[in-house]
Amino acid sequence: MGTNLAVVVALVRRALNEITRVPGAAIPGVLAPTIFVVGLTSVFGQADRVVGFGEVDFRTFVVPVGFLQAAGFTGAATGVNLARDIEQGWFDRLLLCPAPRLTVLTGLVASAALRCLLPVAFLFLVAMAIGVDFPGVDGLLVALVLVMGLASVFACFAVALALRFRTQQAAPLMQMGSFVGVLFTPAYAPKDLLAGWLEVLATVNPVTLVLTGARQGFVGGVTWGDTWPALLAIVGLVLAFGALATRGLRRYSG
Amino acid sequence: MTRVVLALARRAIRANLRKPQFLAPLLIFPTLFLAVNVGGLTSTTSLQGFPEVRGFLDFQLAGALTQSLLLGGVSTGIASALEIEGGFFDRLVASPIPRVAIVLGRLVAAGLVAGVQVLFFLALGLAFGAEIAGGVPGVLVVLVIGIVAGVGFGALGQAIGLRARNASTVQGIFPLVLVILFVSSAFFPRALLSPPSDTISRFNPLSYLADGLRDPIISEVSWTPVLEGLAAATGIAVVAMGLSVLALRGRLRDA
Amino acid sequence: MAAIDVRGLEREYRSGLKAVRGIDLAVAPGEVYGFLGPNGAGKTTTVRMLVTLLRPTGGSATVAGFDVATQPAQVRKRIGVALQEAALDLLMTGRELMELQATLHGIPRRDVRARAEDLVGRVGLSQAAGRRVGTYSGGMRRRLDLAMALIHEPEVLFLDEPTTGLDPTSRATLWDEVRRLKAEGTTVFLTTQYLEEADQLADRVGIIADGVIVAEGTPAALKAEVGLPHLDITLMDCSDLTRARELLQAFGDVRPAPAGVDVSVAVAGGATEIAPVVRVLDEAGFTVASLELVAPSLDDVFAEKTGRRLEGAAEPVAAPA
Repeated sequence: MGTNLAVVVALVRRALNEITRVPGAAIPGVLAPTIFVVGLTSVFGQADRVVGFGEVDFRTFVVPVGFLQAAGFTGAATGVNLARDIEQGWFDRLLLCPAPRLTVLTGLVASAALRCLLPVAFLFLVAMAIGVDFPGVDGLLVALVLVMGLASVFACFAVALALRFRTQQAAPLMQMGSFVGVLFTPAYAPKDLLAGWLEVLATVNPVTLVLTGARQGFVGGVTWGDTWPALLAIVGLVLAFGALATRGLRRYSG
Repeated sequence: MTRVVLALARRAIRANLRKPQFLAPLLIFPTLFLAVNVGGLTSTTSLQGFPEVRGFLDFQLAGALTQSLLLGGVSTGIASALEIEGGFFDRLVASPIPRVAIVLGRLVAAGLVAGVQVLFFLALGLAFGAEIAGGVPGVLVVLVIGIVAGVGFGALGQAIGLRARNASTVQGIFPLVLVILFVSSAFFPRALLSPPSDTISRFNPLSYLADGLRDPIISEVSWTPVLEGLAAATGIAVVAMGLSVLALRGRLRDA
Repeated sequence: MAAIDVRGLEREYRSGLKAVRGIDLAVAPGEVYGFLGPNGAGKTTTVRMLVTLLRPTGGSATVAGFDVATQPAQVRKRIGVALQEAALDLLMTGRELMELQATLHGIPRRDVRARAEDLVGRVGLSQAAGRRVGTYSGGMRRRLDLAMALIHEPEVLFLDEPTTGLDPTSRATLWDEVRRLKAEGTTVFLTTQYLEEADQLADRVGIIADGVIVAEGTPAALKAEVGLPHLDITLMDCSDLTRARELLQAFGDVRPAPAGVDVSVAVAGGATEIAPVVRVLDEAGFTVASLELVAPSLDDVFAEKTGRRLEGAAEPVAAPA
């Protein structure tokens, strides 16, 4: 077990290496969610005047969406990096180490969960600077846990795609997956205001539960009733997409 | 000269068709964004100050189209940079063809792709319940403005590609597309924008381009927005082609 | 027990392509086995199966006593692998990569640094260990790759085309290292498309073409199969060639001489027989103008077995009579 942990830590450190060694490459990923939130607000900000939107202003409403997008971008980037490692043969080297395959997968996913905290932290600071209300320590902690969980989910999804296609050209597929997952939810407006088709999709999309959980501190207060469905959704999604990624890993050598 | 340009354009188009992973995102990303915007903000048409419009989809089509055309420019830039990386550019330069043909070939291709983009989004809108209020003349107007803008963005992308010389740098401007669209009236009426977009959008040519593309969709063709849109597209195209030719000169001098 | 034992090994890809079509081979502990064949012959597919990166679709293989298909984790603990094109993370320094590799192979934390330092020194990269791998030359990368493959002191080392694309100096350095490993008792399975490399390093050679092994044996035995070495001799005064032929008959068969050569004689002992031949001719009053020892190469073996030349030869050679 100790060895496995050491392997996971080593893999995470290597993934984080990239941020410190090629800072230029990491900047777009760090900025993107913030740009998205600030941009959306300055375009659609008036949407909160629509009857039924509630007391919350649009800016506060979409900050948690930005958090989830950070998870989505980071997860997709993990898949793209893996595809590059496969293209360059580095991944074969990982598979040659005697650590169990699950450990290797855990290392990849854990690095995504940690990396997503960087864009989230940046967005949070900007949000505070432009006057979004502090969501409370409990609200922030719940949001962070959920975001890290969601980054793991999207990382598993992107890893499965990378193992299947084995080329960085699959990148748009990975990005689209996280885009659809995060935004086909009540991202821009409460569910009642959504167009009918999107309301249906948002209802069946488990990420909606995650968004509601991450958003609760911003729009009101943390309740157990909004928290446990979000946690349950994360567990279910991690299991489902984790199984997909594990299967991909098994097939990779087949 | 014409033959050379057409041959290069044909080559560029063929490359696009053979590598659909380059072309597909131009349509898919704006489509997804369109879906999310329309689905999430459909009720905003009730806001005071929103122009008379059948639905939010009718309004958003022009925004999606503008976004798609901009992404087309980025992909033209990536293709130019890849051509330099792969050495094909040097082969072109070494062949006895007018230098300008190298620039023009790709731009003809960009114009054709832009035409496809226009028709795709109009068809998509019709399929999901939008109407083109301007009728056939409206479609033609959108096509003209769209193609001119597509050529302009292609030239801009090419200028960047020729200067950057490597595809990953050009890829890096991808997120910028959304940034410059956010400070325009591409996605929401100018009267309803919030700071800082409300101010910046007034000076952003993309606002006029998007409004020009939008007018024939949501109403009868009216001259002011259409001419402003055409002027914006033409202005972008002229400036960008100048930059592209300068970039080519610079590239040839350094080579 | 054999270090590598392969029986009827097959690999068919989903496309239906059969890259490996029933290979049998056995490598003894401490042996250096050269796996020789042109691009696309099935070398890399075979190696990927032996190192557990690819599941065989038929037959079986054990490495260090464990089955590659059913006990891959056991196999991985006992093998070192340097793959083609040295896959390295260019952003990391040589030392960081070595330490990562050590951790991945479960080496206790307290030993990681020392082990990494020791091996980096051994392949002559101590000076460069603190630099990012992106700044390394091709030869340095291969040496680092080799050091990484050795980090857990593997019983069996797989080297997939270790010198392809390297300059002669780097190649010689790598060869020396392989010889040293052999001296220490490591079993080495080496694929190469270079005859000279197999000839220099391997105790035994297997030649693979189109997914099957077409010849196997020591380099000397394989070469002997296609003919003995012979001496081509040109004399200053060729008035009495019959007498010269009679004299040389004592060493071996005198064969029809090629154009421009006076006498050609097979010499089983190769270079060791040059001096005696010259002495006999000299004593009989002949002056040797030129003399060339012509030895069959593994290329000749390859050509005889497959009807093709190995290195870069596109045209098929005439089938041996």
